[in-house]
Amino acid sequence: MNGIHRKGLAALAVLGFILPLAAQASAQQLKAPDDIKMTLRLLVQVSNDFKRQITNKNFARVPHEFMEYTEAADAVRSAMKGESADLKAKVETRLKGAVASYQKVSDMSATAKETDVDKLMAEHAKAVTAMNAVFDLFPAALRPDPNLPPPGRGGRRGAGAGA
Amino acid sequence: MRSYVLPPARLSRRAMLLGCLAAAPLTFAGCGRTRKDEPLVADLSIESDGDFLAFRPDELTCPSGALVTLTFHHRGKYLSARHNWVLVYPGQLEAVDKAVEHNEGIIAGDDRRVIAWTPMCDKGGMVMTRFTAPAGGDYPFFCSTPGHGECMQGVLHVTA
Repeated sequence: MNGIHRKGLAALAVLGFILPLAAQASAQQLKAPDDIKMTLRLLVQVSNDFKRQITNKNFARVPHEFMEYTEAADAVRSAMKGESADLKAKVETRLKGAVASYQKVSDMSATAKETDVDKLMAEHAKAVTAMNAVFDLFPAALRPDPNLPPPGRGGRRGAGAGA
Repeated sequence: MRSYVLPPARLSRRAMLLGCLAAAPLTFAGCGRTRKDEPLVADLSIESDGDFLAFRPDELTCPSGALVTLTFHHRGKYLSARHNWVLVYPGQLEAVDKAVEHNEGIIAGDDRRVIAWTPMCDKGGMVMTRFTAPAGGDYPFFCSTPGHGECMQGVLHVTA
């Protein structure tokens, strides 16, 4: 019994060592991993901006966020320039799907009323799922963490300033 | 054209010593006056963290009463989001941010909660503002573009 446990633990240890190395190696196979990582983070940032405008009921601002989302998507395409045709095609298909989902949120916001926040947030959640499908095409090391606070003082409003 | 050549002065050691002693207080008084008359100045520089909603650096320092020249550089490359730099009194950030939310983030010139602000700036651009640093303390600053203030903020430390 102890022998089986030991073997299991050893196998887990080996996996724990190999998996991060494999992820790192696949990230290194990409031509511009840093640019890709940065542009994927931009998609998350703009997606969070959508959410903020909806919860603040600043619906008129949402189409502007959609414009920024398309710019962030173009930034991803630009970062992908040197990658394989196969990966580019897969990313493009899912990216188009994500952009279409965010466009739906934007279109709904144009005619939204005060009471439509929940409806818009539900549609936004669908758009986030479509965006995550893009991230799934990349190694874990490049995928942005949607729960990660933005750089700088994000999430610490007025910290140290009495605000 | 006429030129004058002054004859070499012949002074005794005692006269020279007395002259130096008399001149010393005047020299120090002169130094003091120059320092008092010259206004304190501070040149501050700040930029956006590329296209991300963050200031770099997010903490600045200047002495109280200084004439501050602040330059903000929008380092974005991809997104058309505009940014600015707005300095407010402690405890006023959220209120000012909320007040301009439905006005494209434009700061009203007569808002007494605001100490200084730059105009809105497009990606790649640079804007500037000049103001006199307030009394010692920590003053929050932020970008007033709707939705940015929550993330894009920092603190100006004014030393007394």
